[in-house]
Amino acid sequence: MLRKEVNDLLTRTGHGTAMGEMFRQYWVPALLAEELPEDDCPPVRVKLFSERLLAFRDSRGRHGLIDEFCAHRGVSLWFGRNEEGGLRCPYHGWKYDVTGQCVEVPSEPEESGFCRKIKLKGYPLIKIGDVLWTHMGDPANRPPHPEWEFATVAPEQTFTSKRWQESNWLQAMEGGIDSSHVTWLHSGSLKTDPLFRGARGNRYNQGDLKPHFEVVEADGGLFIGARRNAEDGKYYWRITPWVMPSFTMVPPRGDHPVHGHFWVPIDDENCWAWSFDYHPVRPLTREERKAMQDGFGVHCKYTPGTYRPRANKDNDYLMDRAAQRRGETYSGVEGIAIQDASLQESMGPIVDRTKENLVSTDNGIIMARHRLRKAAEALRDTGETPPGVDPAHQKVRSAAVVLPPDQAFVEACKEDLKVRPGVKQSSV
Amino acid sequence: MKMPTLLGDCAHAATAAEARFRIDYPNSKTRASRVIALDNEAARMMPHLAADDWAGAHFLTYARTDSAPGIEALKMDATLEASDGTRSKLSRELDHADVVVMIASGGEAAEAAGVIGTACSVRAIMTAGLIVSADRTDPAVESAVRALRPHAAVLVVASDADYVPAMLRALRA
Repeated sequence: MLRKEVNDLLTRTGHGTAMGEMFRQYWVPALLAEELPEDDCPPVRVKLFSERLLAFRDSRGRHGLIDEFCAHRGVSLWFGRNEEGGLRCPYHGWKYDVTGQCVEVPSEPEESGFCRKIKLKGYPLIKIGDVLWTHMGDPANRPPHPEWEFATVAPEQTFTSKRWQESNWLQAMEGGIDSSHVTWLHSGSLKTDPLFRGARGNRYNQGDLKPHFEVVEADGGLFIGARRNAEDGKYYWRITPWVMPSFTMVPPRGDHPVHGHFWVPIDDENCWAWSFDYHPVRPLTREERKAMQDGFGVHCKYTPGTYRPRANKDNDYLMDRAAQRRGETYSGVEGIAIQDASLQESMGPIVDRTKENLVSTDNGIIMARHRLRKAAEALRDTGETPPGVDPAHQKVRSAAVVLPPDQAFVEACKEDLKVRPGVKQSSV
Repeated sequence: MKMPTLLGDCAHAATAAEARFRIDYPNSKTRASRVIALDNEAARMMPHLAADDWAGAHFLTYARTDSAPGIEALKMDATLEASDGTRSKLSRELDHADVVVMIASGGEAAEAAGVIGTACSVRAIMTAGLIVSADRTDPAVESAVRALRPHAAVLVVASDADYVPAMLRALRA
């Protein structure tokens, strides 16, 4: 249960809100690099944190993320012509560079320098890995570039996708740190999904339906350990890192690639669910990459030409009760990503947390909310930089290990939970 | 045979407008939570916590075991003390309890965790362990984790004492 004012604080991310200001401290994924595939390609509408923006790549390969609307008469620059080093409004020819600086106002004498007085809001857009990242906060406090492992390994070792989720970011992110739902909602996929099946660890998942949990604070967020019984009195641990505000990783299975997510607010009732898969030490196989492109694992199939899932709320997520009865899926919805999305969207655009009845095993979620609230308030009240901004906090991994019963995962797995270049993920 | 669904039912149901029609009523009864400090530092948090307004929580401190070694689990008992000095039996506190939250702060918690955890286990009462320490590298934290792990379905190590009331509020204690 959460009081309404705290729910509002955590879920509202527009300009001037406490959580919105906090999100603006970070480099966040804005677009897939494939959305701006070449110089002078068509611009792309982007909405982040309730701000309507436009991304484009100019004639010299520079990326920009600027206010969507022309300063002259408010026309959407999505209709603009991307050419000769800038984006020109087709209405009266005003032209902007990637920073949002107006560089031409054709109706005014060039010598007047009038165009220099016109500047659209602009944010940096940098390519790291398959992702274009932006920082929408104060340029004076711009943090170092992101160093997440999935984005910094060689291109052949990583794959990233995104999907539109029609709910607030927080209820989506909370699914990413809620290990206990896997046993139920995703039970069918553990047996069939090409990016999950076959791992020894799956047997432990299926053999112990009442996992125990341990939640430990980390510098950047949390580690959430789910403990199940293994052989000889040992424990099988699945350890999920959460880095503030919205990065989560799924504990690995066998030698399958490791996956995880970013949950980035579009506005208060929509978010981008970013999903990545990578292998720290080897290229993804052709079969793995094809499975990801085909929407298996944490990815999804799309409505053609969009990043909206093919199974979405307009078609009731292609609910298949017969497949549910046959035991192929637990909820009747196909695919891990859409199994999550269907339930999280069903909560409503912003779930009313005053009505929920959390139990002890929800402590990962309770702690994450607590830390988010404290960090947002500390930033608002004292200007304190929140956890997760420091690239050192980003060098985490998930892990799946078998440990003797007397060992604390956070100590025993200290090295496993760090990025170690050239060293494989710790997995069972 | 696959049953047809009306396309778009989910789209309609998940709107903010439809959220207005969610039935507004109390969907849970008051929980009986027992919050028990296992060591002296944790005990010092209890008066402050108990002074707040709670739904049905009792705030207690483990005083001593009342069980001889080797006694059968169902007969295990202990004495607990409230902030006003009132003493009660663990067995009485566990009557009708829904959850027991054990709080340690890096002191000696093994005996208390063992007695309370066993008493909860035989009564099928949910247990949670919360270790509060500003320094999570303190060896005492590791020792408390080891003591609580066999007896807590959920174990949390928190650096911030504010987490205790936050967690209890979230659990409708």
